[in-house]
Amino acid sequence: MLRYLAKRALTYVFMIFLTTSSGYLLAVSTLQPALLEQERIPRPTPEQVVNSFRLKGLDPTLSPWERYVDWLTGILTRWDWGRSPNGAFINAEFGDRVWISTRLFLASIILTLVIGVALGVFTAARQYKASDRAITSYSYLMYIVPAPIAYFLVQLGAININESVGERVFFVTGISTPGLDGDGWAQFVDMLAHYAVPTFAITIVGWGAYQIAQRQYLLDNVNADFVRTARAKGLTRNQAISRHALRVSFIPVAQSIAFTIPAIFAGGFFAEKIFAWHGVGSWSIDSIALQDVNAATATLAYGSVIFAVGAILADFATTLVDPRVRVQ
Amino acid sequence: MTSNTTARDTAQGTAERLHAAGLHAPTDAVLSVRDLNVRFNTENGVVHAVRGVDFDVMPGKTLGIVGESGSGKSVTSMAIMGLLPPTAEITGSVRLQGKELLGLSDKAMCRHRGSDLAMVFQDPLSSLTPVYTVGTQIIEALTVHNPTMSKQAKEARAVELLGLVGIPSPKDRLKAFPHEFSGGMRQRVMIAIAIANNPRVLIADEPTTALDVTIQAQVLEVLHAAQEETGAAVVMITHDLGVVAGMADDIMVMYAGRPVETGSVDDIYYSPRMPYTMGLLGAVPRVDVAEKSSLVPIDGIPPNLTQPPTGCSFAPRCPLATEACLDGEPDLRAVAPGTGHSAACIKSEALADVDVHTVFAVPAVPVSRFDSLPRHERKTVLELRDVRKHFPLMKGALIKRRIGTVKAVDGLSFDIREGECFSIVGESGCGKTTTLLEIMEFHKDQDGEVVIGGLSNKQAADARAKSAMRKELQMVFQDPTGALDPRFTVYEVLAEPMENLGMPKAAIRKRIMELMELVGLQADHVNRFPNQFSGGQRQRIGIARALAVNPRLVVLDEPVSALDVSVQAGVINLLDKLRAELGLSYLMVAHDLSVVRHISNRVAVMYLGKIVEIGDVDAVFDNPRHPYTRALLSAIPVPDPELERTRERIILQGDLPSPLEAPAGCNFATRCPVFAALPPAKQEKCLTLEPALEASATDQQFACFYPDGELDADMLVVHENH
Repeated sequence: MLRYLAKRALTYVFMIFLTTSSGYLLAVSTLQPALLEQERIPRPTPEQVVNSFRLKGLDPTLSPWERYVDWLTGILTRWDWGRSPNGAFINAEFGDRVWISTRLFLASIILTLVIGVALGVFTAARQYKASDRAITSYSYLMYIVPAPIAYFLVQLGAININESVGERVFFVTGISTPGLDGDGWAQFVDMLAHYAVPTFAITIVGWGAYQIAQRQYLLDNVNADFVRTARAKGLTRNQAISRHALRVSFIPVAQSIAFTIPAIFAGGFFAEKIFAWHGVGSWSIDSIALQDVNAATATLAYGSVIFAVGAILADFATTLVDPRVRVQ
Repeated sequence: MTSNTTARDTAQGTAERLHAAGLHAPTDAVLSVRDLNVRFNTENGVVHAVRGVDFDVMPGKTLGIVGESGSGKSVTSMAIMGLLPPTAEITGSVRLQGKELLGLSDKAMCRHRGSDLAMVFQDPLSSLTPVYTVGTQIIEALTVHNPTMSKQAKEARAVELLGLVGIPSPKDRLKAFPHEFSGGMRQRVMIAIAIANNPRVLIADEPTTALDVTIQAQVLEVLHAAQEETGAAVVMITHDLGVVAGMADDIMVMYAGRPVETGSVDDIYYSPRMPYTMGLLGAVPRVDVAEKSSLVPIDGIPPNLTQPPTGCSFAPRCPLATEACLDGEPDLRAVAPGTGHSAACIKSEALADVDVHTVFAVPAVPVSRFDSLPRHERKTVLELRDVRKHFPLMKGALIKRRIGTVKAVDGLSFDIREGECFSIVGESGCGKTTTLLEIMEFHKDQDGEVVIGGLSNKQAADARAKSAMRKELQMVFQDPTGALDPRFTVYEVLAEPMENLGMPKAAIRKRIMELMELVGLQADHVNRFPNQFSGGQRQRIGIARALAVNPRLVVLDEPVSALDVSVQAGVINLLDKLRAELGLSYLMVAHDLSVVRHISNRVAVMYLGKIVEIGDVDAVFDNPRHPYTRALLSAIPVPDPELERTRERIILQGDLPSPLEAPAGCNFATRCPVFAALPPAKQEKCLTLEPALEASATDQQFACFYPDGELDADMLVVHENH
């Protein structure tokens, strides 16, 4: 197993290197931060701009290949991913961003998975009954509604509540109230007030996919021959389904879950923008708008790493739940 | 009529019918079923799948329920087990040791299921949960009914059970997962689960249908042992009249949801009194009889059970039906007092000692113009010379390396002459289908030579030669439903091969009308789609399609294995007729040796990619020389209870070995009953040298050093206790 993982990891490291390098070369030859500098007031002279960029390791006079070599040497020797045109260090910024994305998504992803899978099982056991029809229709609706619209609707709802109560119960944007003093309890309430809206919004949009998948896979197995065997042994229908059909139907779901977990850290652009949590997702888009070569490449590299981790996790999850799959 | 009197009438009717049926009194029966009715609500209306089934099973006895698909036999068993979906409407009475089971809740039923009432299902491959070990699944059956049993005791019992059903090194195998077992082994595990709590009644629903004949013989033996061990009553459900002949004490024949004839096994097999039973027995070819007579075809299809029948449900297919048969459904009536033999036919008295061939219009045995010609004077239509197909077995993800070779077909040579039917038989995995694929491949890079109608794959295998080859050779497939495009009408299906050859439209039209008549279909049905035909009719369409371009050789890949017995007889008779009338040659692959014996002239027995015995079908079947042929033939159940009871059976040990582990000397040595009985000095030869097909004076060759050798006593089984 370890050898297998090592082999897979090696393949992915190679893949990540390729995507990141080509990403960097593409970014360095198209993004022109110097043009943005021209919009400053007072307008700096071109020499000033070049000087300032040279100090940050972003010398625009070098050829893309020379800059690539510099950039790569920095990463390999000092683990230094460079600086932004505004002078910020990518390494430092990155840590903050990942932590923000994680905080935004962690709770909602766990809720999404638990609610989605549980509702999938619930509806499969009540196929075609009113509760099944209502829940499954809702899940399909959530497939259709674009996520930003759903987020806005939730925000509007929260604002309405605030207005009808006449007091600010929920914060619809931001991570915490700046400069809030008070004891631990006040801090905790403030955190809840900030977390509630985005977590709720992301969860109610997200669980639909898992509900539909889990319901489908379980229904495929509810009338399987081995469930009939289990019932013939003396298990009730519900026991037979929960002990035999559920585990088998969970195999494909486990795989998709494994791919979801890394996505927590990568964040999501819409949610971060709408709720004003500045995580990795919004950074990747902003960095392109700000012509920031190093930040854009760093988010790309991070995305590849996350994908590789997801793929390995999915393999791992499959071998864990399905004894038929053996790693060679 | 008030509901009260109806109830009393029904009760009286049931009692009367039982009395008339002469069935045993229900007091000492371990399982007794009365007036069982099952209805399903479907989109097409209410399907009355089981209509008034009564039977009793005595402790330690075996009841065989026989019928074709759709006759309601499986639904009956599921109703007894309480495993039908809640939408099924079940009425009547099912008593297990005097306790009523119908109407019990799922929870209450669970106390009986798996404890005193157990079941073995048809498909062992899908009947075990893939994610749990075999041991877990056996122990679960013990835990459900014995919550206080200790873990060690349960484990010990599981080991004991696995040993009982003949799984080698049971202690280690407890930790194995189902996918690590072969089909036969999984069915053994299913039996172990079923008998875990010493059931009083064991229901086996087609337990061997999905298995090879040699494995079927093993599993039947295990069932027999299980019954002896537990003393359970067994209800054996099957469509194969051979399987129950040796096992059952009583037989119930079902048709259209009703029992149409019940009685002791001898009564049913030797003096059937219901035309359907007679037809069913006449429709089965016999592996042990050389005499050639056409099979009994039962025309038509079973009735649609959404409409309540007004007369005898078999009347539309019965050659003896008269006006009186259409007037009310006949009840089961005793044919001879005191014997328990009863039939649901108003003419049952007149049917004593009547030959089935006089009842049904059995076609005459067709004679081909080639039959009188000696074999060596006929032209060769297909010849294989040393054909091999080896698959390399690779390992590794990036850099592949060869770790072995699967010799799927290993040096096959045979020829087929005009007007003859040549069959290849063997267990699944022996290379039968690969052989067919190699013939259809027809490529010059193949290992070995294939000559079709004078065209060799080595000389000219360009596109033109290939299309000429396709004109000589056509194929009929196993599954008639899957082989026909559901969006093509019959006309389009039949026209396609002729259009490919560039025939003019008018000629195609004329030929299609000819073909429809040739295969016994109505010419005005050409514009229908395949789903409007029954299985047997679809196979006839498949045959017509193969014949469209007038081939000389037709390759038949399991042509009747997907069909019911009565329908199968009609298709076999058709194939026989076409061979004679059109002078066709057949190359057939089949696992049913009775069918092979019936329609073939010559036969080859394959084992692990090699022919181990080849020759005239009567010579090989009556005087098999190779131990494998002997075992294969002895494993086939014969629909003759007397013979089955006294027959000596060779039960091969284990499964077909994986081609990877093919032994160095004789392939068969690992399972050979002769080899096992040989002194070590003689065994040496089998283990080191590879026996070749020996030429002989007669048309029978075999590859064995010790033909007709003494058989190992451990592999011989005779049941004398019946």
